[in-house]
Amino acid sequence: MKLKVYVDRMSQPSRAILIFCKVNGIEFEEVQINLAKSQQKSPDFKKINPMGQVPAIADGRFNLFESHAILVYLACAFPGVADHWYPADLFRRAKINSVLDWHHSNLRRGAMTYVLNTVLAPVFGLPLNPQAAAEAEKLLSSSLSKIESIWLKGNGKFLLGGFQPSIADLSLVCEIMQLELLDGNDRSRILGPHKKVLEWIENTKNATRPHFEEVHQVLYRAKTRFQEQRSMGGNTTNSSKRLGLPSKM
Amino acid sequence: MKLKLYVYRMSQPARAILIFCKVNGIEFEEVQISLAKRQQMSPDFKKINPMGQVPAIADGSFNLFESHAILVYLACAFPGVADHWYPADLFRRAKINSVLDWHHSNLRHGASTYVLNTLLAPFLGLQLNPQAAAEAEKLLSSSLSKIESIWLKGNGKFLLGGFQPSIADLSLVCEIMQLELLDENDRSRILGPHKKVLEWIENTKNATRPHFEEVHQVLYRAKKRFQEQRSTGANNTNSSKRLGLPSKM
Repeated sequence: MKLKVYVDRMSQPSRAILIFCKVNGIEFEEVQINLAKSQQKSPDFKKINPMGQVPAIADGRFNLFESHAILVYLACAFPGVADHWYPADLFRRAKINSVLDWHHSNLRRGAMTYVLNTVLAPVFGLPLNPQAAAEAEKLLSSSLSKIESIWLKGNGKFLLGGFQPSIADLSLVCEIMQLELLDGNDRSRILGPHKKVLEWIENTKNATRPHFEEVHQVLYRAKTRFQEQRSMGGNTTNSSKRLGLPSKM
Repeated sequence: MKLKLYVYRMSQPARAILIFCKVNGIEFEEVQISLAKRQQMSPDFKKINPMGQVPAIADGSFNLFESHAILVYLACAFPGVADHWYPADLFRRAKINSVLDWHHSNLRHGASTYVLNTLLAPFLGLQLNPQAAAEAEKLLSSSLSKIESIWLKGNGKFLLGGFQPSIADLSLVCEIMQLELLDENDRSRILGPHKKVLEWIENTKNATRPHFEEVHQVLYRAKKRFQEQRSTGANNTNSSKRLGLPSKM
């Protein structure tokens, strides 16, 4: 029975799982859980993940959720996954684990909260919260700075001085990609100063092509629709519905 | 060269590391990084952990931070650590990883934000924020409910139906212990309804005695001082300084 991967391509951690599987030739069936239609709340999906979130996997009877746990499981369980994704070496592995742990409360929280409170909230019927956005931007910016000064130190192109990407690179870069949805000025202000980060994103895309861009097409289409909406000056609920965007990210 | 643990016993994840090492007979030197004296900002400590946070470890020339990464490393690197702490079985290990991942943005985020905004903020030179506390309480309560309905399902006394504790039990229970600092009414309101959680905390304490209680003595002493402060009705900075509490948690 083939691995099933329950995802929504608008979800940053979902994209990381998809790219990882495709790059490593892991056969899977992609089951779309459409957040815009609240499919993550369905009783059938809750049997897979009682938390009702994507991504989740079912490998035979074994169900698993939380993207970092999934990436680690896939790296260990499937033959043919090159060592650099999640090295067997205890020390390198521990360092990758520390990046993945750090991510939750730093880059992910900052980026996700910022995008929610400047762009996506209306899609969920929530008000945009400029104060929450301002606080989130501080966390996001400080996280990007720490990536440059701490995690990207070393001789390699990737996190922790790696010469090849690990699951940490994939997870963090997919998170930053969500900033594509932002207004151009906001995106430039936040990302623009971080040249090392921008270079690292390109390196990660190159190392995982063509899958990285293919998996991100849904996001790019959403970006275009948001840009259209902004240029029309509209911000009505009608536009949000027309955007067909997920109701929960 | 002995393992060095850079810890502060008022820090929830620091306590988890200490208890784990003591229970498993891992020899270490405890280096206190006093958050009250802002020692986490010292250049010497930043060589160990550039993020300037506790806990951190130095095992010879190998430095590591983030408590979950540390617990995993210790479980794998030190002989004599019983398998139940972090099973070699890929499936059980993946489930434990998923709890540890879930923890960051759920129980930890809710509990630490709530305690900060009802109690500890003044020690960091911050304002108590009742609105942030109210939102954090929702997250904390919903996290406790999910622990009961999802993570504590099964036949065993511990998370994921385990008959013996894992590093996930230790990490999450140490986090909940921080609620000991709260006003009794708040603590009853939040924890009281969760009988399974209360039972699980006792089971975890029993499984790790006497080390659990010994490591928590600093917290219990802080709890007493807070209780005294509340009963004298004072809430001025003089009392705060006298409490000698950490300036950064």
